[in-house]
Amino acid sequence: MKISIQNLQLKYGSFTAIENLNLDIEDGEALVLLGQSGCGKTSTMRCIAGLEEPTSGRIIIDDIVVFDSEKGINLPPNKRNVGMVFQSYAVWPHMTVAQNVAYSLKRKKLATKEIDERVTEALTLVGLDQFAERGASLLSGGQMQRVALARSLVMRPSVLMLDEPLSNLDARLRDRLRVELREIQLKLGLTCVYVTHDQHEAFALADRIALLQGGRIVQMGAPRHMYEAPASASIAHFLGVSNIMECTEITAADGQTAARIAASDLTIHATQPPAQAALSPKVCIRAEDLQVTAAPTGSVNSWPGTVRVAGFQGNDVRYAVELEAGPELDVLGGLKRGEQHNVGDRVWVTVNAREVQILPAEVFA
Amino acid sequence: MSLKTPTRTTAAEARHPSNSAQGSHRPARALAVLKKNTSGLVVLIILSVLVVLPLGLVLLAAFSDSVPRPGSISLGGLTLSNLALLATPEAFGALVNSLMVGTGSALIALLIGAFLAFVCARSDAPWRKFIFFIGMAPMFIPALVGALAWSLLSSPSAGYINILLRDLGIDAAINIYSLPGLVFVLGIFYAPYAFLLLHSSLSMMNADLEEAATVHGAPLRTMLRTVTLPLALPAILGSAVLVFALTMENFPVAQVIGNPAGVDTLPTYIYRLMSATPAKSNQAASVAVILTVALMAVTVIQQRIINKRKFTTMTGKGNRPRQVPLRKLRWPFTLLAVGYFAVSVVLPMLALLTASMQATPFVSSISQLLEANSLSFAKLLEVLGSNDFQLALKNSVLVALIAAFAGTTLSFIASYVRYRTKSRTGRLIELVAMTPLAVPAIVMGIGLLWTWLLLPLPIYGTLAILAVACVAVFLPQGYRGVSASMLQMDQDLEDSAVMLGAGRARSVVDVTLPLMRVGITSSFLLFLMLSMRELSASIFLFTSNTRILSILVFDNFDNGQSQAAAAVSVLYCLVIGILAVIAQKAGGERKTKS
Repeated sequence: MKISIQNLQLKYGSFTAIENLNLDIEDGEALVLLGQSGCGKTSTMRCIAGLEEPTSGRIIIDDIVVFDSEKGINLPPNKRNVGMVFQSYAVWPHMTVAQNVAYSLKRKKLATKEIDERVTEALTLVGLDQFAERGASLLSGGQMQRVALARSLVMRPSVLMLDEPLSNLDARLRDRLRVELREIQLKLGLTCVYVTHDQHEAFALADRIALLQGGRIVQMGAPRHMYEAPASASIAHFLGVSNIMECTEITAADGQTAARIAASDLTIHATQPPAQAALSPKVCIRAEDLQVTAAPTGSVNSWPGTVRVAGFQGNDVRYAVELEAGPELDVLGGLKRGEQHNVGDRVWVTVNAREVQILPAEVFA
Repeated sequence: MSLKTPTRTTAAEARHPSNSAQGSHRPARALAVLKKNTSGLVVLIILSVLVVLPLGLVLLAAFSDSVPRPGSISLGGLTLSNLALLATPEAFGALVNSLMVGTGSALIALLIGAFLAFVCARSDAPWRKFIFFIGMAPMFIPALVGALAWSLLSSPSAGYINILLRDLGIDAAINIYSLPGLVFVLGIFYAPYAFLLLHSSLSMMNADLEEAATVHGAPLRTMLRTVTLPLALPAILGSAVLVFALTMENFPVAQVIGNPAGVDTLPTYIYRLMSATPAKSNQAASVAVILTVALMAVTVIQQRIINKRKFTTMTGKGNRPRQVPLRKLRWPFTLLAVGYFAVSVVLPMLALLTASMQATPFVSSISQLLEANSLSFAKLLEVLGSNDFQLALKNSVLVALIAAFAGTTLSFIASYVRYRTKSRTGRLIELVAMTPLAVPAIVMGIGLLWTWLLLPLPIYGTLAILAVACVAVFLPQGYRGVSASMLQMDQDLEDSAVMLGAGRARSVVDVTLPLMRVGITSSFLLFLMLSMRELSASIFLFTSNTRILSILVFDNFDNGQSQAAAAVSVLYCLVIGILAVIAQKAGGERKTKS
């Protein structure tokens, strides 16, 4: 179902957790609220759920106004038909799996037969139909996650919200559940709101990502768009771009931009023009876009340097290369691409001018 | 609180002109704020009647020439003349005695408690489980009974120990009726408090901290001195101050042991003023204010010390701290612990049993007790069958049950408002709920007496007022237990029930209460056990029909019927023992369930 959030503001005393937030979520859409801890993403989710009372603003779920500060409307959480999977899962240890899942249906006073059917259906969907009678305290982390999910799905919520759904699981389980979650969401055509601080999780789960910083949405868009065109250096940093350098002087000529890096003799060339006349622009280059070679490549952006650290990571090697021109760069060298370099080797680092982005330090939405 | 609300609203609206344009919403918002705080305000009112009003009346009486009574309560008769009493040698002497008693018994309790805790938690002495029992056991003997037992053991003329000494031809007598005697009795019966605090500190200490010292080259002795002791220091200081506070305000022991010796402490002095004819209530109130102020100061210090402890020694890890090898001292240390057990439990119980069983009230030599027919169960059975005892037993159990139920409920609601709602009353509620910790029970008793004579609810003279007193006096312990358990429970568990369509109340019943049952049951049992032992507040509140066991013991002793007092005491301890076993069983069941 559609959700509309208008001019949402939440203050704790003098601290502003959410600042004038506007957001529309389409029916069947998976929206991810992405940001660092304390950015207001969980608060936003709790406001939609009704667990937090906003200072002002309006929230509409499925054409019903659930909160409106001006009209004094504030529907309690149990009247909003919003499903929520908590970060801690909050599976009740004093009940069995089936009792956990049946809870919302019992509150609706459905017939026992219908409750049984829907519980079985939900448990089958998450692959836990064999565990219905097991005590919930005997489950593993992944199973608890599934119980929490089934418990929320069974009530057929207008919107399902998941708070850091995968952060408490180990890496392998996380990868599997990420795919499963997306599968279930698409299959049921469910409107979903995720909260996470992990960009990989966000990329995999989202139709659209809303990136929050300091209680505001600073950038919104499809995952791929966010990855390719972060709006600011600080967003780029958050999304995992590891080479971010301040520049002192930017000159543009013939569709080429040249940026002079602060406190060094380095000039980096880019094809795209710098974003407007930005305040304190920064050069951003992804570690995986850089290439290390033993000989110069002849590109405009090819600089000599020395390998300081080489860290083997399985699929690839992470190098720290100190350029002769000054700065140290973080480079991800694919093993399959061939060459391997050792600490102390003289190497050349190259980047295609197309991959170089010159971004403002911050954006304020 | 309600005064603040409108100003806040206007301030908020001034910043948002769009809001103030629709001025009609102002009352709506004020109403919303009020609604949000309603439950908090109700709790606050109940707590105020329970705690604040009694204290206020005592304070008022201290500075007034009349006692607060229905119709005669006014601020007209304000005077400072009651304070003149405080300059008399009697009052000053009582103050000095109280301080000496507090200091002395805190030292004794600390020595015993620290010794037992160390031997039990950190040494390789034999019988450590039994030593743990030794450390706790005296808690199940009400201090009043302990004092009574020791007066039977070593009153100068008729004490069993002194008779034995005379039999043996030793020309020396122990006189328990003295200041050192009072300090001794309080010290041994309050040692368990020090023991429990120190034992938990020593056994929960993070072993890594000590191992780090060893790894960095410290021998055992140095490790104990430079790591273990400093880490345990807050618990040591905290427990010493706690015992100081408890013994300084203790009434029953001071009355039983101190009174025959002519040693007055502040609590017994207050009692004497209150029971004089005519009662010198206003003077009593002014002494009560002094005692309360002193206790508040001590309690604040104690809370500071204890709160610090959290950051230093608590860990969630299950690794066991290191044991200290005692070598040659293993058995001597265990024997010392057993010696304490003899002095605190075995001898007192024997004395009470003997006193309640001896055929003649006067004994001139121990050998007389060994003759045939010199001991019988007649007196015990007589007491057991008497109406007085049966009524008191029924009253005690009833009062304890009501107090436990009401106290736990109140503690839960207060904790809920404090920790689970955004009500602005939360902090104030916590402050009021914890206040009785710093108020002597005897002062609370006087305050409650005046409060309930004044209030239109006619519970004075019923068992209800005794239950109210127990709730008021033990609220801090109950509140702390329940709120600790509430803080341990993730709020998401309750919120998820709300998200799934249950109302707030329903969620509390379905999720919060079942998950907190361990904490709630222990608080219930704590209220029950403490209420069974209560005397100091009840002493001003009972009537002839509402006597409870502690009052019955005290009355008998006060009237010189020490044999009857001993017999009731034996049965009293038996009842408490049975309750403790039931509580233990309930606790055991809870553990196996979870």
